[in-house]
Amino acid sequence: MADTGWPGCAKSLKGVILDMCGVLYDSGEGDGVAIHGSVEAVKKLKASDLQLRFCTNETQASRETFVAKLQRLGFDISVSEVFSPAPAAVAVLKDRCLRPHLLVYDGLLPEFDSVDKTNPNCVVIGDAAEKFSYQNLNDAFRVLIGLEKPVLFSLGQGRYYKETDGLKLDVGVYMKALEYACDLKAEVIGKPSPTFFQSVLNDMGLQPHEALMIGDDLVNDVGGAQHCGMKGVQVRTGKYRPSDEKHPTVTADGTCGQPGSGCGHDPQSEALSTP
Amino acid sequence: MEWKGATKDKNTLSTSEEENVNKKQEELQLKVSSMAGRRALKAVLIDLSGTLHIEDTAVPGAQEALNRLRQASVAVKFVTNTTKESKRNLLERLQRLNFDLQEKEIFTSLSAARSLLEQKQHRPLLLVEDSALEDFTGINTTEPNAVVIGLAPDHFNYQTLNKAFRMILDGAPLIAIHKARYYKRKDGLALGPGPFVTGLEYATDCKATVVGKPEKTFFTQALSDLGCSPNEAVMIGDDARDDVGGAQNTGMLGILVRTGKYREGDENKINPPPHLTCDSFPDAVEHILKNLL
Repeated sequence: MADTGWPGCAKSLKGVILDMCGVLYDSGEGDGVAIHGSVEAVKKLKASDLQLRFCTNETQASRETFVAKLQRLGFDISVSEVFSPAPAAVAVLKDRCLRPHLLVYDGLLPEFDSVDKTNPNCVVIGDAAEKFSYQNLNDAFRVLIGLEKPVLFSLGQGRYYKETDGLKLDVGVYMKALEYACDLKAEVIGKPSPTFFQSVLNDMGLQPHEALMIGDDLVNDVGGAQHCGMKGVQVRTGKYRPSDEKHPTVTADGTCGQPGSGCGHDPQSEALSTP
Repeated sequence: MEWKGATKDKNTLSTSEEENVNKKQEELQLKVSSMAGRRALKAVLIDLSGTLHIEDTAVPGAQEALNRLRQASVAVKFVTNTTKESKRNLLERLQRLNFDLQEKEIFTSLSAARSLLEQKQHRPLLLVEDSALEDFTGINTTEPNAVVIGLAPDHFNYQTLNKAFRMILDGAPLIAIHKARYYKRKDGLALGPGPFVTGLEYATDCKATVVGKPEKTFFTQALSDLGCSPNEAVMIGDDARDDVGGAQNTGMLGILVRTGKYREGDENKINPPPHLTCDSFPDAVEHILKNLL
């Protein structure tokens, strides 16, 4: 009978999905810093039979921009292998014939170039940082309150993230604000939405049980992946906290790496070397 | 218990006489049960906008009704959820409309916030309009250890909200003047403090303390310096949920007036329903003078 636990299940794995920030690199000044061992680990994965994709909730920059950043850090990675909320949102908008009012970081706007933004009939919010001014939020609110069937898309639902100069409010906070103001529920595009994970699996042509997600965010990466039927492994870098290993609702299938150093080696090595 | 007026045994009454007796018994029963456990009326709380005046026009007869009420031996307080206007502004407007009142009789959601700050000895980061700061004079705001959020579009920018967020994560209590979703401005609808309070609650996994109507604290704070308890007081207002519902939840009687924001059927939207629904403030005063003193 097939071993369904980690790392034995590695034998039946056909694909790996890697979170980016906190797994491959740490963000900070300039391009940030590659996490020790991660560049080599990605190379190893690509050399193996396993399919590989990258998954992120990054919404301050377009894919082209942050892929270029990762290439500068030494990673072998291309845009077609990367899944982020903005392109997923664009697909949803086109599929449902929706024209968005955008409240997103300027760097993300290019992702929406091909979308008709005239006479908006929905609102899309991303991690807009300083662009979350009262004026901009009010404009988004007025679009929603003026619609007979208001639709709000939130690119992710994070509460806050860490930057070099302290903690900062993330998109989820403003999603909740607009939900309350308009008495509606937003649709989340990006982790941990099952549709988002499914789109990655579809691209790989794999069933959930054939894929493994590796991330630093226990709830959104690991929990989100497990919810879809994938295995989820947490790395001890990025957002990881020791208390994650005793979380009330999410238990990772595996936790790897030494705190602060690269995990890259472990799952791949185990996946490739388990007899 | 024998009801006064029910002199005949029911079996000897005709159908219509029986109906009359039943009706009288019901009326008496209502009066007694609403008075049961209630002590004499000591205070009347009166909403402002929509109840005493609509913008710059007084409700007809309201000034005289207020004067009549003052002749009875009840304390009077004027209560409102404003977060932009100081007590002085409100007083000036009401005096221009010939209402007889003093500044100390006005209690706003800002006053409720101030009361709470003084009680708990918090030093607040005040995210309120400049025009409202006046009502916080004398409160120490150095090295703030509490966050107070009112209607303050100028402060709802990313930087200031991050500052508030980090303070709350560090343990500072979050106090909301009220949680209105939006309000009407000359140029259209605009976000109220509610959305921002909700966002910060989500970010910090904390619950805000809301001090404005319809919270219980608002009403108990309003009555506190009158030395009377809720069951010795009645509230008159045009907002079924925030004025009447909130007051009744605290143990007061509530009178809903059909002016201001009142809409047909509002009295059915709260449970229990208003003690009385009447046309306007003068009618409410009549009812009080006749039945509740």
